[in-house]
Amino acid sequence: MIKQLSVFLENRPGRLANLLDILERNNIRVLAMGIAEAGNYGIVRLILDKEGEALEVLRSSNMAVNETNVIIIGLNDLTSAVKILGNASINIDYAYTMDCQKVVLKVSNEMEAMRALSAAGIKVLSVRDEQ
Amino acid sequence: MCTYKLSKSEIVELQNKRLRWLVKYVYERSPFYRRRFIENRIDPDDIRTKEDLKKIPFTTKTDLRDNYPLGLVSADPSQIVRFHASSGTTGNPTVVAYTKQDVENWAELNARCLEIAGVTSNDVVQVAYGYGLFTGGLGLHYGAERLGAKVIPASTGNTKRQLKLMKDLGTTVICCTPSYGLFLAESARDEGLDPKRDLKIRVGVFGAEPWSENTRRRLEEQFVESAHDIYGMSELNGPGVAMECSMKDGLHVWEDHYIVEIIDPNTGEVLEPGEKGEMAVTTIKKEGMPLLRYRTRDITILEDQPCECGLNHARIKRILGRTDDMLKIRGICVFPSQVEEILMKTEGVSPHYQLVVDREGVMDRLMVRVEVSEDFKTDRLTDLVNLQQKLEEELKDTLSIHAVVELVEPKKLPRSEGKAQRIIDMRKI
Repeated sequence: MIKQLSVFLENRPGRLANLLDILERNNIRVLAMGIAEAGNYGIVRLILDKEGEALEVLRSSNMAVNETNVIIIGLNDLTSAVKILGNASINIDYAYTMDCQKVVLKVSNEMEAMRALSAAGIKVLSVRDEQ
Repeated sequence: MCTYKLSKSEIVELQNKRLRWLVKYVYERSPFYRRRFIENRIDPDDIRTKEDLKKIPFTTKTDLRDNYPLGLVSADPSQIVRFHASSGTTGNPTVVAYTKQDVENWAELNARCLEIAGVTSNDVVQVAYGYGLFTGGLGLHYGAERLGAKVIPASTGNTKRQLKLMKDLGTTVICCTPSYGLFLAESARDEGLDPKRDLKIRVGVFGAEPWSENTRRRLEEQFVESAHDIYGMSELNGPGVAMECSMKDGLHVWEDHYIVEIIDPNTGEVLEPGEKGEMAVTTIKKEGMPLLRYRTRDITILEDQPCECGLNHARIKRILGRTDDMLKIRGICVFPSQVEEILMKTEGVSPHYQLVVDREGVMDRLMVRVEVSEDFKTDRLTDLVNLQQKLEEELKDTLSIHAVVELVEPKKLPRSEGKAQRIIDMRKI
């Protein structure tokens, strides 16, 4: 299962730079990023190449951070994938794109979602899969 | 040391006797009080029992400031052996003076406080209140020493060293502010220690700022076995005026040294036990700088029912706020302790907060800045928005005014090693 890290940040100039700087200093690469904001704070969602290490690094930098299971599919499968998930009564809580070719989906039930997608012949990808 | 286990009638008898001594003493020795008595046509002989106290005007912080530095000292200068001073954020500091007997009594009262919290001569007592002009450090130091305990005079600051001392010397009693107590627990965890397992702190003596039952719960969950509230102020010797016993249902005031009245802060009228108001204290044993009906600016309730612990000294409830800490926002009184109470019971936020008041046009605005806790478990924005709204609703219910909640990142609010700086008032009045 792909792990996304979600980080609570204040919505002020420099906070995101600080976060990314910590990751860079620890040789952790950002593969995809999505931001949701509400007024003076927000959540940064990240797909990283070393999420376990990143979790430790960010926790020790006093950040409110946690792991969430997500799935990744190809962008060209998106239309049929959302239809399949809808038919299976699985909600997409949020989504963001990755590498211009992939989409990261947070769904209400990732195991069922993966089963439904695979059954319909849609490939569920890993972070390193090329499209 | 059971000299203080007095019956109610013994206490009242001592209070009246010592009050008569005090009135005569200050009338003869203090130009300030003599003038006060004459101006108000009070004959010292008319003050026979504590019911007669009502005839005497209050002494206020302003009186101390106006008579800076030593205008309220009653003892002969040759008898003074010590000065302390409290911070003067507005103008002059408040200077207090002690005779040798005052220092002795102060030690005795602090020993009593520690004893009723369960401290014995076998304990290792780490005093992490400031030593110096501030009375916190030395007061508890003397008390612990009088009890025969082992004292670590750590003073404030240098948190890493505090933790090392606790671990290496086997500290069993910590004396510090409650906010520093929480900070110590947090820092211990950052160092990879589980304070409840790796340290063996039985008793926490927490004072110098108001705190809540929820803070007690946190301190007892995370740091000490048993957390006790201690009360005092430099004008009344320092710490050791009142202390929570093992029942933790109010703080016993050492009534053989202090007479407590609860008054209406606006009218000065004396209130009944059980009614909330400002505490005024008369120091009936102090020699250096005794005070008559000193207005403490602390808000509390007097509880005169017997305590299950067996002590007959009356109790005050935890300090509910200060008349001068109290924020008046759109005409409504807001106490930081009310905000703290709400934050403490809310999952997802830390107990550290800051109240910011400013004025938009003619309207006061209250903003409560709260830290999201590090173990905050959600990746969904709606959960954060819900947390913020829930806090805003609860604040509105409790304070009766709307407050904007601002969620900030963990450990972003300033930590104080003494009294926490929790209010920023930016109103230009």
